[in-house]
Parts: sequence; structure tokens; C-alpha cells
Amino acid sequence: MKLLAATNRYYLALAAVLFAVGSGALYYGVNRALRHELGEQLAERRAVLTQRAEAGRPLPAPPFDEELAVSARPRPLGFADTALLDAEEHEWVPYRQLTFAVRPAAGPPVWVTLRKSLVETDDLLKVILEAMLGVLAALLGGAALLNRWLAGRLWAPFRHTLGALRGYDLHQHRPLDLPTPAIAEFAELNQALTHLSQRLVADYETLREFTANAAHETQTPLAIMQAQLEQLLQLPALEADPAAAPLLAELYGATRRLSRLHQALGLLSRIENRQFAAAVPVRLDELLAEKARHFGPLLDARGLALRLHAPPAPALQMHPGLADSLLHNLLHNAIKHNEAGGDVTATLTAGALEISNPGADPGGDPARFFERFRKHRATADSPGLGLSIVQQICAYYGFGLSYAFEPAGRRHALRVSFTGGPIAEKTAVLHKR
Amino acid sequence: MKLLLVEDEPALRAALLDSLRPGGYVVEVAADFAQAYEKIKLYRYDCVLLDLTLPDGNGLDLVRALKADGSPAGVLIFTARDTLEDRIAGLDLGADDYLVKPFHLSELNARLRAIIRRRQFQGQHHIVFRDLLVWPDQAEVLVRGEPLALTRKEYDLLLYLLANPDRVLTKEAIAEHLCGDAVDAADSFDFIYTHFKNLRKKLQEKGADHYIRTMYGVGYKLSSE
Repeated sequence: MKLLAATNRYYLALAAVLFAVGSGALYYGVNRALRHELGEQLAERRAVLTQRAEAGRPLPAPPFDEELAVSARPRPLGFADTALLDAEEHEWVPYRQLTFAVRPAAGPPVWVTLRKSLVETDDLLKVILEAMLGVLAALLGGAALLNRWLAGRLWAPFRHTLGALRGYDLHQHRPLDLPTPAIAEFAELNQALTHLSQRLVADYETLREFTANAAHETQTPLAIMQAQLEQLLQLPALEADPAAAPLLAELYGATRRLSRLHQALGLLSRIENRQFAAAVPVRLDELLAEKARHFGPLLDARGLALRLHAPPAPALQMHPGLADSLLHNLLHNAIKHNEAGGDVTATLTAGALEISNPGADPGGDPARFFERFRKHRATADSPGLGLSIVQQICAYYGFGLSYAFEPAGRRHALRVSFTGGPIAEKTAVLHKR
Repeated sequence: MKLLLVEDEPALRAALLDSLRPGGYVVEVAADFAQAYEKIKLYRYDCVLLDLTLPDGNGLDLVRALKADGSPAGVLIFTARDTLEDRIAGLDLGADDYLVKPFHLSELNARLRAIIRRRQFQGQHHIVFRDLLVWPDQAEVLVRGEPLALTRKEYDLLLYLLANPDRVLTKEAIAEHLCGDAVDAADSFDFIYTHFKNLRKKLQEKGADHYIRTMYGVGYKLSSE
């Protein structure tokens, strides 16, 4: 429920209660005032009649019978409500009556009853109530409409802020630039959010620099370790103990892996930080042929056939290093997860590149294949960053990236569509056929 | 053969020196930009091995200075950051080759040999090793005068071994030399074995036996004994 709808609901409930109570009070008050007034009029007439009778003058003849009744017999004194039948309209008409005893100067006392019709009073009450209720209803309706209109107008800055927050991307390294609206609360909100985003950007920058520096600084000790281990392997003393050299060699291999891992992570963070702005036209068909030569020995060693369908295609605007990394990781992935006697098939068209290879059903959620450090086998030596790099590069250039597994042909296929349009990191189209 | 090694990290410098000495080079060292600049201005070198990231200056400026002086020295640059820009800038300025840190020392030897060979310093047109005679310009290998037919990869491998005589070569270094540094060490060892087997067999057939020794669990070594 919207905030405004919620407050409106309470306002309307309150207004309805006040409306009901107000109507009752109005009716009761006006009715009471009118009857009081009527009573006073009757009391005045009683005074006039009493004076007149005591002065010895006869009681006047009433123009209408119902207004004055004189009786020789005693009657209950005081005010009372009654109803008389209107002879012409054949309906009961309410009256207010005042009965009192009059002692004329001559003769026995008589009981006089003065009556006044309540019909006008009721009409008046009705008109007053109707007018009042009408005004109240108009007020209520007006307030509701005004609120709705204000909601559109006064809350516009809030919606603008919300839109800016939704579209906010920390990777752009820019704090939120929110305007200062006239409404104080929204101005405060925007100020607080702008401040928050500035701190976020600053923290993110610090973290990024730290990561970059840490990665860079560790390369030097790694280089020293690697160089000295390699020198250590040359020592003639190693031949005395056949177990020593393999230990050193493993250490050497681990250093190499660590430095590769650093390079891959460094590449990922540089892509995320958009440090690959320079783009040149890259001929993917030529690059693919070059990569195929590059992987030749590995393909031969694994007994894999490479099927390359790459007719000359239009050049893509890419950073040469990223283009190289994209093809390298795609091909390497296809080689790594292949099976004996299998093949790697690369098909390049103007709009897409598809690389497929046979293999067992990987199982699991295809979306998770692109996660960092995701390994097909827990024992695999590679850190499992290849597909993350592919995904980051695709996201960077707005390429579509999809994975499909065909159970019938037992083939994995990774498809990069160059016209995929901008895709977010998480919304890469992933499906399982 | 006179070399200048420009590297600011003492431990790395020492390891590089150690690995270069058996190659018969005269190696001078410079620990920073200022020292290096002075040396290249004062002396002549056949090849300069240059770390691009120096504490007091950019190594690329040293390449510029060398080229501005019309120095015939070969230049091999080390880039710590594997930024493509640095490499391209270095090669554009006239550097002969580059190595991305951390690199294998055996790879450094191989690249250095290749640079020197390309520049044909001191009339070094051929390589002699025991009964082997290699003419790199013609890609020709002779064993006791008899030509040896090798595949492209086997020839590459032999040149690599010849650049590192009596040196233990790790599987990682060999695999990356043959396949480029892009190949993960983990999945590249199987094909080294095949290439070594074939190369050994061919050498053996020509009577050049026991040239290549297998270092169990480590790699291979070209033995001069």
C-alpha cells in the first residue's frame, strides 16, 4: 500500500466518524434550539392572554381552531407534544402545546391550551442539516482530491530520488548527484543520500586501490620467489637427495599458479574498474585463427580436433587485450572440459561466436558456472576464473552470453552474441535446453 | 658479450645475475634509473635487460635515450604489470622483446639468445654444442655433419635447450615456452613429454645419445657431459 493511500485511509475514517458525530450533534442542537424558541413564543402568548383575561377582556377568537383551545374543565398543565389530524390533508401534524389556567376577572377559571405547529421547525431543521452536510461532504471530497493532486506534485522529488537510487551504479565511480528540492524533508533526504554515496564511492575507491596495490606488490615477492626457486633447482647438491628436487619443483609450480591467479584477479578488477577504454577494430576471425595456432600443441596432446568456421567477419570495436582474453578463455574452457577424442567447434558469424565441445552433463545451475572460483572438479588445478573473465568482458561490451547443454549430443555450447545489447552482470541469458 | 641489467629489486637482481653468468656474459648491473642512465650514456652494451618500473623513473625513458643515441644495443624489457600498453609502448620505441614478470629465468636466457642471434653480434651465426651444429638463420641442424629433420616444435625445443645448457628446465617453463604464456601449467605437461620423446629419438638415431636428461618430478636438462 502506498504511504499516501495509507494516510488517506485514516483521514477518511476520521472524517467519516466526525461527519456522523457532527451530523447527530447538529440535529440535536438545532432541534433543541428551535423547540426552545417555540416554547418562549408560547410562554409570551400565555402572558398576553393572562393579562388580557385578568383585565376582564374576553379571550380572542383564534384564526385557526388548532392554535387555541379553551376548556372549562381542568387539564394537565405545562408543555407537551401532541399531534392533530389535519382535516384537509388527512395527516397527523405535530404540535407543541402549552396549557395553563386563566382566572378571568369575572367567572370561573378556564384552562387554555396554546398550540404551535412544529412543521416549519422540522423544515428548517431539514434545510440546515442538508446545507451543513452538503458543505461537509464537499469539504471531505475536496480534501481527498487535493491530497491526490498534491501527491503527484509534492512527491515528485521523492520519486526522482528513488529513480536515481535504482539506477545507481557504484562501478561508475560517481556519487549520486541529487537536486535540492523545496520541501525540507526531501532536501534532507537527498543530502543524506548524496553524502552516503560519496562515502561509498570513497570507500570503494580505497578498496579498489588497495586490491590493485596488493596485487601489484605481491607480484614482486612472487617474482623473487620464482627466480630463486629456479636457481635453487640448479644446485648440484640436489642430486644427492632424489626427493628434494621434486619438492622444489612443486613449490615452483605453486608459485607460478599463484602468480597466474593474481594476474587473473587483476584482470577481473581492471575490467570492473573499466580500465580498458581504448578500443580498436579487432578482426575476430584473424584472432581466432591465431589462437587456434596457439592452442595447437595442447589440442594435439589431448587428441582433440579443432573445427574452425570463421569466415572473414566485420571488425568489432574492442580492446585488443580483452578480445584476446575472451577468445583464450572460451577456447581454453572448451579444451579443459572436453573428453577423449572430442572436438572443439568454433563458429563465428557477423552476429555471434559459438564455441562448443562434447562433455558430460555438468549438472547444477548453469548461472553458477560463471561464478568466480567455480570449478568443475574440486581437484582441478586452475582457479576457475576463466568463465568469470568471459562474463565480465561480455558485460563490459554489452555482449549477450548464454550457455546451453544438449543432452542428446552431449554438447556444451557457449554463445557470445555481439548484438546482445547492454546486459547486466546477473541478467546474462542463461538457459538449459 | 656485455650486458646491462637494470632491476631495482636486489633479490631478483641477484637471481638474474646468477642465471646469466653461466652464459658467458659480462653483466653490469644498475639498481635504479639514475645509475642506468649514467651507464648507458658512458658505456656500450650489446644488450640491455630493463625493468620498466623503477623507483626513480620510467624504464621507457631509458629505451628512448638508447634509441636517441643510436645505440645498437638490443633491448629486452620486463613489465611487472601485464599492461598491454606498456609492452606496446616499449616495442614501439624499439625494444626487441618483452617478458612479463614473473618470468622463468630459462625463458630469459632463450629470449636473450634470440635477440643476440637476430642482431648477429660478433659473427655468431651458428651454435655448437657437443656434436650438434645449428644454423639458426636456415633453421638447419647437423649432427656430426649429418642433417637432422625436426618438426617446428622440436626445433623450437632444441633451440630453447641450447639457450640453457646444463640448466634444469621446469615443465612449466618448457610448456609456456612452446605454447605461449597463456597456457595453464596444469594442462600442458602431457604434450611436453611427447615432444621430448620424439626429439630424443631423432637425436639418438643420429648417434647423439644422452643429450637430454630427465629430471624426475622437475623437468629436463640438456647435458654437456
